Amino acid sequence: MATLIAQQQPTARPVKPTTQLRTTLWLLVSLIVVAAFWSVQIKWSSLADFPSQLIKYLGLMLFPPDWSKFGEAFKATILSVQMAWIGTILGIIVSFPLSFLASRGLAPRAVNAPLRFIFAVIRAVPEVVIAILILSVTGLTPFTGALALAVGSIGTLGKWGYEAFEGVDPGPKEAVRSTGGGTLALIRWGVWPSAAPEVLSFWLYRFEINVRASAILGLIGAGGIGKMLQDNVQFRNWDAVGMLLVVVVVVTMAIDQISGAVRNKLIHGTWRAPRRAS
Amino acid sequence: MSTSLSSPTQHRHERPTKPKLGAKYAAATAVLLIITIWAGIGVQVDLPAIAANWRNATTNIVQLLQPDYGFFPKTIPALLETLQMAVIATVISSALSLPLAFLASRATNPRPKLLAAVRFLMNMIRSVPDILFASILVAVVGVGALSGIMALVLFNISIIVKLVSESLDGEDAGAQEAALAAGASWPKANRAAMLPQILPSFASQVLYTFELNIRASTVIGLVGAGGLGILIDNVRSFFRYHELSLIILEILVLVLVLEALSAWLRKKLV
Amino acid sequence: MEHTAADIRFSDVSVTYPNGYTGLKTIDLNIPAGEMVGIVGLSGAGKSTLIRTINGLVPITSGSITVGAHQLNGRGGAQLRGKDLRELRSNVGMVFQSFNLAKRTTVLNNVLMGRLYHTSAWRILLGAWKNDDVELAMSALERVEIVPKAYEKASSLSGGQQQRVAIARTLAQRPQVILADEPVASLDPPTSHVVMRDLQRINADLGITVMVNLHFLDLARRYSDRLIGLRSGEVVFDGAGADADESVFENIYGRSLTAEDVLDGQAVL
Repeated sequence: MATLIAQQQPTARPVKPTTQLRTTLWLLVSLIVVAAFWSVQIKWSSLADFPSQLIKYLGLMLFPPDWSKFGEAFKATILSVQMAWIGTILGIIVSFPLSFLASRGLAPRAVNAPLRFIFAVIRAVPEVVIAILILSVTGLTPFTGALALAVGSIGTLGKWGYEAFEGVDPGPKEAVRSTGGGTLALIRWGVWPSAAPEVLSFWLYRFEINVRASAILGLIGAGGIGKMLQDNVQFRNWDAVGMLLVVVVVVTMAIDQISGAVRNKLIHGTWRAPRRAS
Repeated sequence: MSTSLSSPTQHRHERPTKPKLGAKYAAATAVLLIITIWAGIGVQVDLPAIAANWRNATTNIVQLLQPDYGFFPKTIPALLETLQMAVIATVISSALSLPLAFLASRATNPRPKLLAAVRFLMNMIRSVPDILFASILVAVVGVGALSGIMALVLFNISIIVKLVSESLDGEDAGAQEAALAAGASWPKANRAAMLPQILPSFASQVLYTFELNIRASTVIGLVGAGGLGILIDNVRSFFRYHELSLIILEILVLVLVLEALSAWLRKKLV
Repeated sequence: MEHTAADIRFSDVSVTYPNGYTGLKTIDLNIPAGEMVGIVGLSGAGKSTLIRTINGLVPITSGSITVGAHQLNGRGGAQLRGKDLRELRSNVGMVFQSFNLAKRTTVLNNVLMGRLYHTSAWRILLGAWKNDDVELAMSALERVEIVPKAYEKASSLSGGQQQRVAIARTLAQRPQVILADEPVASLDPPTSHVVMRDLQRINADLGITVMVNLHFLDLARRYSDRLIGLRSGEVVFDGAGADADESVFENIYGRSLTAEDVLDGQAVL
């Protein structure tokens, strides 16, 4: 029946290829996963209570939230956003020149490599840990939080920056070189015009990350919404926690919307993301 | 030497005036500057205080530079728990987020209302910092790895769904159109025509999430959600800087080694 | 179920797009089963719209189309949707200008997409195709002569090979009708002839109705029994390819023939 499609007798069918390396890797990954599930010390049975517990706590938090401390929460949120802003600005100021120095072709290899390693090390350390380290120098202030975010930002912005600079279209770079331009001219006219929209959008994206991270820093006492949250969780003021949750979600979503619109403007030239061309 | 490149017989055209962007840039700079000053006052930027504190801090820094390697055996259980949490959270969240990603992409979900609902839910989850989930979940399910895993899963799903649905949005939908034209339903067409296209980006997203989880699982312990974080909280409260620096060193090595491993795996699998 | 052919009948069909643009104007056509039909016209004349109404990819505004046992109606009439629409589509194969293959998966998986309608959801989820379907896909690849490439990634194939995989995909549907929307517009001249000959043989050997949109007049004349000329959404010529002389084409195109209208690059037929 199937042969009716073809006019002649069926020819030999090719054999389905298998790749040994892939199979081995998949087996290995599966083994690790099974081992992790098997060895972890968790009472999985407690999951059975989870749905009812979740409903109970959601009820305590959100039906209704306690709006009496809204003023305080609003101030704390503002402080968190300010921390994120200062952290981002300081991060940009330091990482911007460094990411040029870390780009291959714009600075010697001997400069590229150590900078890249420093970026990698910073990225490996969570912001909270950075804050704990800085804490011993600055004491517990919101500024400590901002500094921790700044250091954390250097790690990611540095990396994204040199990747963007190395990824620019070689055409304009060659054009600048061919007119006899030096490295500075190359950066200013061959690299920056092509990379600028991307780099600016990375800055905004890092700001969005910092807004979230600033809430975390409150937990170790750097102030802001995180601290207020921690205090209320400790004393089990669930209706206040619910209110804080609402504030955090609304503020973060609003900032994401604004920042997302600006990023679209930078990259696509319109405030809203363009629809996929069909 | 003449500066003119054009031939002398040619009529000289008028030069176009340079578009005036100056005012726009000046205004933007001013706004950014004002926000920065306002924020700076808010967070109490105080450089002299840092200089003053510097001398007190030197002893701490010296301690931090001398990790107490004898403490290592005591960190092993927490280290293992961090790894377990990261592996389990990555597996669960990738399994849950793949179907959600298809519901969250305009290219694969033909129902506008469902699409908007899924996207809104994901945006909401993504706007909550992972540690906030962790501190609430610790209260709900108790101290330990389970609450940590759940917090990581929630956070991971929102990230994977966003990135994978974006790569679905940008994917060429030709094969899907062909599958639909051959009588396939949307779910069938998505599975057969779209999934193979985004598998590489999904796999690399999962590996990236695993790296994030290693880092994050060290942090969420601070609120009692298991892993190295609990240990950090302990030694920090008692100002045991030698031990703290060992833990930080462990995190550093763990993340760098796993990042290298995942970069290698990405090349092999994708 | 064999390749039973189906008549296609357009009665008073019009298509108006949401932006007010008229795609088709009161089309009446009768295409008996087993014909090879070429459709020509300028871009924007409604060729693509005409073809896409047949499998419901473009909904019609008024009138009705019958394809075998199925009927598509304009607004107000009973709408073919869900399972019924999918059944119609499973009987109608479609070949696209840009091949529309899933490039990151194998040639075989692409051909098997022609079986999606007939395969259960769990088999698709697990990628566990029926052996009969795999054999059907292989024999479809056999007809377009690329069986050895079955397990290669679609992206590794040349444009001509990709289009032939796309044709095999429609064959795997065991269709009554194959619609081809500018199938050779992305191919070079020699490859174009190979693909057109494939379609011609499929029509001749299997008795499947084939409707092809073509930009090039000489290709249309050479490979189709019947030629339909469209201009601004209306049928301005319908007859044998041999009857279509240069004056007919001037009527379809609203201007005289140029070298760009023929594949072989000369402004004569």
